[in-house]
Amino acid sequence: MTSSTTSATPAPEPLEPPPAVPGSVRKPLSAASLARQRRKASAVRFWKQYRTHRAGLYGLAGLVLIALLALAAPLLVGADVQSVTAAPGTALESPSTEFPLGTDQFGRSLLGLLIWGARISLLVGLLAAALSVAIGTLVGIVAGHYGGWFSTVVMRITDWFLVMPALVLAIVLATVMSRSMWTVVLAIGVTSWPTTARLVRAQTIAVESRPYIERATALGGGHRHVMTRHVLPNVMPLVLAQTTLGISTAILTEATLAFLGLGDPTVVSWGGMLQDAREAGAVSSGHWWYLAPPGIAIALVALAFTLCGRAVESVLNPKLGVGR
Amino acid sequence: MVMVTKVPPRPARRPHRAHGALRVLLASGVAATSLVVAPGTARAEDDKAGGTTLTVAVSQSIDSLSPFLAQKLTSTSIHRLAYEYLTNYDPKDARTIPGLATEWKPSPDKLTWTYTIRGDSYWSDGTQATAEDAAWTFTKMMTDPNAATANGSFTANFEKVTAPDPQTLVIKLKKPQATMTALDVPIVPKHVWEKVGDFSKFNNDRQFPVVGNGPFVITDYKVDQYVKLKPNRKFWRGAPKFDELVFKYYKDGDAAVAALQKGEVSFVPNLTPAQADALKTQKNIKVNDAPGRRFFALATNPGARSRDGRTFGNGHKALLDPAVRKALFLAVDRTTLVDKVFQGHAVEGEGYIPPRFGSYFWKPDGDQVRRYDPEEAAKVLDAAGYRKNGEGKRVGKDGRPLDFRILCHATDPNDKAVGKYLQEWWGELGIGLKVECLDSVSDPWTKGDYDLAFDGWSVNPDPDYVLSIHTCGALPATPKDSGATDNFICDKEFDGLYAQQAVEYDTAKRADLVKRMQSRLYDTGYMNVMAYPNALEAYRTDQIASITTMPEAAGNLWGQDGYWSWWSAVPAAPGSGGSGSGGSSTGVIAGIGAVVVVAVGLGVVLGLRRRSTADDRE
Repeated sequence: MTSSTTSATPAPEPLEPPPAVPGSVRKPLSAASLARQRRKASAVRFWKQYRTHRAGLYGLAGLVLIALLALAAPLLVGADVQSVTAAPGTALESPSTEFPLGTDQFGRSLLGLLIWGARISLLVGLLAAALSVAIGTLVGIVAGHYGGWFSTVVMRITDWFLVMPALVLAIVLATVMSRSMWTVVLAIGVTSWPTTARLVRAQTIAVESRPYIERATALGGGHRHVMTRHVLPNVMPLVLAQTTLGISTAILTEATLAFLGLGDPTVVSWGGMLQDAREAGAVSSGHWWYLAPPGIAIALVALAFTLCGRAVESVLNPKLGVGR
Repeated sequence: MVMVTKVPPRPARRPHRAHGALRVLLASGVAATSLVVAPGTARAEDDKAGGTTLTVAVSQSIDSLSPFLAQKLTSTSIHRLAYEYLTNYDPKDARTIPGLATEWKPSPDKLTWTYTIRGDSYWSDGTQATAEDAAWTFTKMMTDPNAATANGSFTANFEKVTAPDPQTLVIKLKKPQATMTALDVPIVPKHVWEKVGDFSKFNNDRQFPVVGNGPFVITDYKVDQYVKLKPNRKFWRGAPKFDELVFKYYKDGDAAVAALQKGEVSFVPNLTPAQADALKTQKNIKVNDAPGRRFFALATNPGARSRDGRTFGNGHKALLDPAVRKALFLAVDRTTLVDKVFQGHAVEGEGYIPPRFGSYFWKPDGDQVRRYDPEEAAKVLDAAGYRKNGEGKRVGKDGRPLDFRILCHATDPNDKAVGKYLQEWWGELGIGLKVECLDSVSDPWTKGDYDLAFDGWSVNPDPDYVLSIHTCGALPATPKDSGATDNFICDKEFDGLYAQQAVEYDTAKRADLVKRMQSRLYDTGYMNVMAYPNALEAYRTDQIASITTMPEAAGNLWGQDGYWSWWSAVPAAPGSGGSGSGGSSTGVIAGIGAVVVVAVGLGVVLGLRRRSTADDRE
């Protein structure tokens, strides 16, 4: 496929020596600096193509903004914002100049909590997506590389996870394990890997059918060498795109689990805020300002990641075409 | 059993809001739909019935409709309606008044009690209720362990129960028993129940109507959907005024409140402060905010053990030190909890028994009281050798840091809220706290695998039961069994006092003993009462014209000791008051708005993904 040309990692095909710049240093470049150059070039090429996707740019801008807010949260609002004993307001105040989004049932500022909650929501989303993609990549490469009955068994297991309603499985996992952020990460990661596994396996098979893999094997490359040095770099673009798309799903699932009361009740997250609002009876008592902001924030972040993911995908996979 | 604390009126456990994952699904998805769909169907049903229907929103599942097994509050409340007990409690002041028995007399040695059974109580199938039914019920509980599951504590001390004639019931005791005029045991019809084989499996939910002699007759039941009751027209105290009583399930509190606002249900218990405040301003709805009969406490694991002397569980060893327990509670600001968590809808906790039971209420004074004083708490810990290390954490002499876990009910918002405060207060002391919220806490609890726990029981007018659960006798027989014990407390002094009060027939002397027991319990620091939460409930005045609270002045309606609320409820004249309110709609709209926002977000994501696959196919 396309990967070998766009990959940011050492390409497996023997490359022609880099065009010698007339008058430059005679000394042949070392392998490391060659690789560095090539990487830099491909990053620039990637960014040039990415720039042409306007939706991707919007998504990226949104992400950068939210990520900055989350990172700067300790400076902007401070960890005190989650303190119930030092809460500045009274319970369930309506929006005012002091509290632009009102207060929760403990008298804490909802705007502060919203900013603080971004940290957990983003962190869990990233970690869960990374875990899910890591599992998927491992399973996919191993299954694709070895093939035979081993592959069949592994893929049947994958299919089982694929047809299993992920939310139900995640709920079960989150229920039986202790309530913590890591449980949620694990629950999401363990349930959402099958799609990645299938994609990666297909790509692995495609890569391994190429002659250079045969050459590598003939030169004495073992399973491990082939998988890590040749297959992995070639599936990386796919994995990268999959991760970006997976994050939005993971954030939504995290919010769902927290809303269902399966998150860590002691940390502030957007889904947890929705759950707190429900427990306080905010829906029936008409405190919409408690419910709407976290819901909108979840939707926006999920949207931003999806836009980025789509853009990355179409840059890395020219088959998807341009002009979108 | 019992352990599940957080609750229970005597045998009845506190209404848990809901259960696990399922609830969750229901709560999210179904609640939204029910808001929209339900009102129409409800009205259609009303039209069909043609009479007046009193609908009560409930959330706690029925554990069993068999009075021999039922322990949860919803089930025992329904049994109050369907069966007569020997005695009842006066709604005004909770003193004992006649029920199935019209009078009772102890022998001079107080070991033989003779009850006169009324002649005007009939089972709903027409047969008369006699002393023979009562004798059979008690004898069954004494001889069949499966029939003693729910109320066995009452009959454990019975030697023999006989019915010399249909109007006389004689109970012979092994030892004197102070609860003889407070036997909260539903009396069942012998001619129906003697056909039952295995009492541990029979749930009394196959044949309707269920034969009973209470003010209502159970006519229908669908698990987690509804329980329907019809009035018993021949009830000796007078038939109830409503033509039908329905307990309808709402697993989500907000959905129940929305149903109340629409007029779909007449009564909703267990409101949150925000819901109560919003309902107060609405037309045709009355909010009842009454002192509750429950306490909300912080239990510390005293080292779980069984009657055979073996210890088990993994409770933190530092909690065995009275100084640590004292310091923990010194750092709990009960006033703030009442103000912030309960938003004033609770009374600050003191002794074990809520102030509502005036004659047994006790509170610490003088040096005994543990007032909120974090500095004193730090001093106590320093003196006991728990000093702060470099990281500001308190460490015991064994080098083990004071890091505790607290068991919390995931279904109870108050547990989580108080947990947040405790974390911060104790964190300043250098004590770590991990809040472990579970849908069902009974598993770690019975195994003794906890350090601290949120605990709470509903107290009956007779305090015997809530005191009995802290005696050595209530401990499990072996680590594998489960006993009636609440918190594995086994204290010689407490037990001595318990034995004394159990045989004390003089009310003043017994009250004094009960107070001394509470004083002792307070000093041990195993049960630290933080608050007595109010009963927050609301009903529609255009459906219920009048209803009796218990106690009559400032009392509760849901979970009474007796059938007074539903028996006394008078339907409002048709046309009184307007139709369902409009005020609620903002709340509903807001809720739907939030759902829509999330749904749109999901839709966008899914839409984009679909598009991506479509592209792939190209």
